[in-house]
Amino acid sequence: MEFLGHGRGTGKKLPFTALFSKFRKVLDINNQVLELMADMGDKLGGDYIFDRQYILSTCQGMADLVSKLIYNLHGLAPKKYLQLNDAFRKINSEIEEELAGRLVIPQTDYIMRYELITRDFADVVGGKNANVAELKNHLDLETPDGFAVTTRAYQSFLQHNNLDEKIGEIAKAWSEKEISTEDASANIQSLVLSATVPQKVRKAIESGLLHIQELAGDKHLYLAIRSSALGEDTEYTFAGQYLSLLNEPQENALDSYKKVLASTYSPSAMQYRQEKGFLEQEIAMAVAIQVMIDATKSGVLYTLDPIHPERDVLLLTATWGLGAPVLSGKVRADQYTVSREPPYEISALDVVRKTESLAPKEGGGCEMQPVPHDLQTRPCLSDIEIKQIAEAGLLIERYSMKAQDIEWAFDRKGRLIILQARQLNIRGGFQRMVEDISSVVAGHPVIFAHKGVIAQNGIGAGKVFMVKDDKDLDRFPQGAILVARQTSPRFARVVRKANGIITDIGTSTGHMATIAREFKVPAIVNTGIATERLKPGQLITLDAEDNVVYAGIIKELLYYSFTEDAFAETYEYRLLRRVLKKISPLNLLDPLDGNFVPQACRTFHDITRFIHEKAVEELIDLNYYRHRDPDAPGRKLQSAIPLDLVMIDIGGGFSEETDPENVQVEQVASVPMRAFLSGLNMPGFWSSEPMSVDFGSFMSSLTKTFSSDIANPKSIGQNLAIISKTYANINLRLGYHFNMIDAYISENIHDNYAYFRFLGGVTDQTRRSRRVKFIAEVLGKRDFRVDLRGDLLVGRIKKLAPEAMKKKIHIIGQLVAFTRQLDVQMDNDQQIGRFVEEFDRLTQTNGSANQLEGTA
Amino acid sequence: MNTGQKTSILILDDETIVLKRLKPALEKAGYEVETFTRSAEASNRVNEKDFDIVITDLKMEGIDGMQFLTQVKQHSPATEIVVITGFATMETAKESFQKGVFDFLAKPFKLGEILDTVRKAEKKIQDK
Repeated sequence: MEFLGHGRGTGKKLPFTALFSKFRKVLDINNQVLELMADMGDKLGGDYIFDRQYILSTCQGMADLVSKLIYNLHGLAPKKYLQLNDAFRKINSEIEEELAGRLVIPQTDYIMRYELITRDFADVVGGKNANVAELKNHLDLETPDGFAVTTRAYQSFLQHNNLDEKIGEIAKAWSEKEISTEDASANIQSLVLSATVPQKVRKAIESGLLHIQELAGDKHLYLAIRSSALGEDTEYTFAGQYLSLLNEPQENALDSYKKVLASTYSPSAMQYRQEKGFLEQEIAMAVAIQVMIDATKSGVLYTLDPIHPERDVLLLTATWGLGAPVLSGKVRADQYTVSREPPYEISALDVVRKTESLAPKEGGGCEMQPVPHDLQTRPCLSDIEIKQIAEAGLLIERYSMKAQDIEWAFDRKGRLIILQARQLNIRGGFQRMVEDISSVVAGHPVIFAHKGVIAQNGIGAGKVFMVKDDKDLDRFPQGAILVARQTSPRFARVVRKANGIITDIGTSTGHMATIAREFKVPAIVNTGIATERLKPGQLITLDAEDNVVYAGIIKELLYYSFTEDAFAETYEYRLLRRVLKKISPLNLLDPLDGNFVPQACRTFHDITRFIHEKAVEELIDLNYYRHRDPDAPGRKLQSAIPLDLVMIDIGGGFSEETDPENVQVEQVASVPMRAFLSGLNMPGFWSSEPMSVDFGSFMSSLTKTFSSDIANPKSIGQNLAIISKTYANINLRLGYHFNMIDAYISENIHDNYAYFRFLGGVTDQTRRSRRVKFIAEVLGKRDFRVDLRGDLLVGRIKKLAPEAMKKKIHIIGQLVAFTRQLDVQMDNDQQIGRFVEEFDRLTQTNGSANQLEGTA
Repeated sequence: MNTGQKTSILILDDETIVLKRLKPALEKAGYEVETFTRSAEASNRVNEKDFDIVITDLKMEGIDGMQFLTQVKQHSPATEIVVITGFATMETAKESFQKGVFDFLAKPFKLGEILDTVRKAEKKIQDK
């Protein structure tokens, strides 16, 4: 792509009209970028069906728009911001890598610490590592400290020892039945065991060990070293096919690593893969190296009975000591059948005589030990322990959107540690349970359907619990459905316990939706009627796949979703989420910050933001501070409000006599600009103006930080308006948010329009989105067409008579003044309505003043 | 369903995300759904069985959706076809309607939209 604009050569001056047309282009593309970004964000909610083509074409469209933006900025400021080209190339090539199916990961990773792993890295760390790390990082469950030796280390090991070729030959001979499975396996395993671990990999493993020594506060560790093959524990379980070594002293780490790699080629593993249709080239083994958990008791939890899911129970197996012999069936274990509902009552208990248990041996390895006589017939678990396991299990189930098979243990300190979690296949059982899902569903009345927006897919069933304020949150019961008028970031406190969330108001891109997605709690927002139609304590099923709320608990619907592949787990969904990380987040917030430079742009949003700021700056600089085009005079506005606004007149915008530097409000002749300024200057709207008594006290009751920030000139940006008799383009940065107004008013009604865009703010996303909701309500009441996405708002109105147009733009002026600091104050959702009322009241009080301005 | 028998739907799309999202939604709405990612297999299947409704992508790797829907219409003229495509152009839309498809949806679309379309197609079949 060619960015170096042809624009102005040095010394040559472009007439202002040419500069302005580039500037308008920047604004126009800027809007397109923001809208496309919001559009892509919407697709992460559950309402849309999109495909790979959508991701490809929107990413392409986004890259085109951003590169055009850069081109146009180069036109305005030749050679000044060339580093933007590098920033663009870097971001774009990362996106292209993602689209080409390559995970963008640092080249040096032979190991990855668990703290850094998410499921997106499953291809490099294997399924087991990814699952365990995510349970800790995302759900905050206790898991063993550890790190992954990646598939890249495995590749490096193969290459270093020339094993690729050698193994390939043996595997070929085996698949052509020239040699037996046993011989092939033995040959390959001895090759692997006699090979050397490359130095780089060795060093990486040593640094990983050092790290977990620090975490454990112990210089000499005993380790559990397990396989974590690609695809293992996700689509295919490979259960028990590969080796796990327990209680290995750390000095055995490298040997153990090789042993686990060699187990990839055990006869049973080779046969299993052959039956499942895997190619030998597809194997990439990652390994988990974890601190050994010295368990007092261990076992397995199935979150459903896989054969009879209709029993709707948890199946729990427990024994003394380590759990390995339970898995391999070497010892007997207690069996608990437990309710899936709090308080998790035991419906059946089969206590067996447990004569032996597996325990770590001094100096390494494990051995069977006799169980003390008094413990042999005692059940292993207390009610509290059962509750702990059940809650953890159901949390993992909901997060994974699948029934789970979980290995757990209690350590010497009595902490519950999750060792492994994998999908439990209930497909067969479910098919016996439900022949026809639609007839089951048809038996339950629909309370409402297709009312809101899906913020997170999934199925949730439980009791309705209404949340009105924070005290309600303290009483929120495990497994309930949270129903509220509005969304709130405070819901984060109980989201772990909730089986679902339904609100009357909210957006799929808001903060609440983000939290719901983080924990995968099924959520529908913006239904409009949830608090009205649902009653506290009512049993409901929330289908946030199809956007329906049913009366009653429909377990079948939940289990049906367990048998289907989750939408959010599809490759395309994950891809969209990954590319959006390189597009949407905004890191460049403060133009006065030293970091507000092209080199700091990490996303397309950063570049877009930077360019908008600089385009405004350039225009002011070119036509006000430096050379001035006599046909487009620039003047600074003198007004009571400290706007720092430069106005550039491109034809009839000023009345004849102005000072060469400054212009007074009365000298502005531009019709839309006058209407805007009259709104902006209305008493009571700009918050540093004296306010009516009760509004003032109302405000001061809301926040103490309110007045301290107002007089600060830093919070007022450098602002620009380009005007003519009939036209105004106004760019205002007030504090950290942006107002852009573009308006035209003439006698020809069909040409008239006003466009208002509002974006950003310095407070958290939720307060910002409250502010835009407020603006949306105000504009909506006054017949604007309003488009609201997250904290981006666009209001449009057109084709009104001049007097009516002036009124609309006057309102925009009032809004800009009124909302300047509003996000700081908006600390709860109820305030939206109150501010709307207050705004209306102020508008009415000022009715007479409006008439004076000739806009009423 | 008043006929006592479920309306049968075949979906062909080479992207599994589309099938994974559509199949459960349509099944829960009471339809009998079969999905295919490969056109050859879908072709064989429509030769064996007359589906009430066929939902197909137009542009897929290796085959032409247009060809597929022509084949469906020839074999079973009563089948209603809904085209879903990520490459919507006026030409493809026009060509599809000339071939007698029931409706044409551009991806991305909302789940509610396709459910509406399917319901309308079903009604048309029942009214015949």
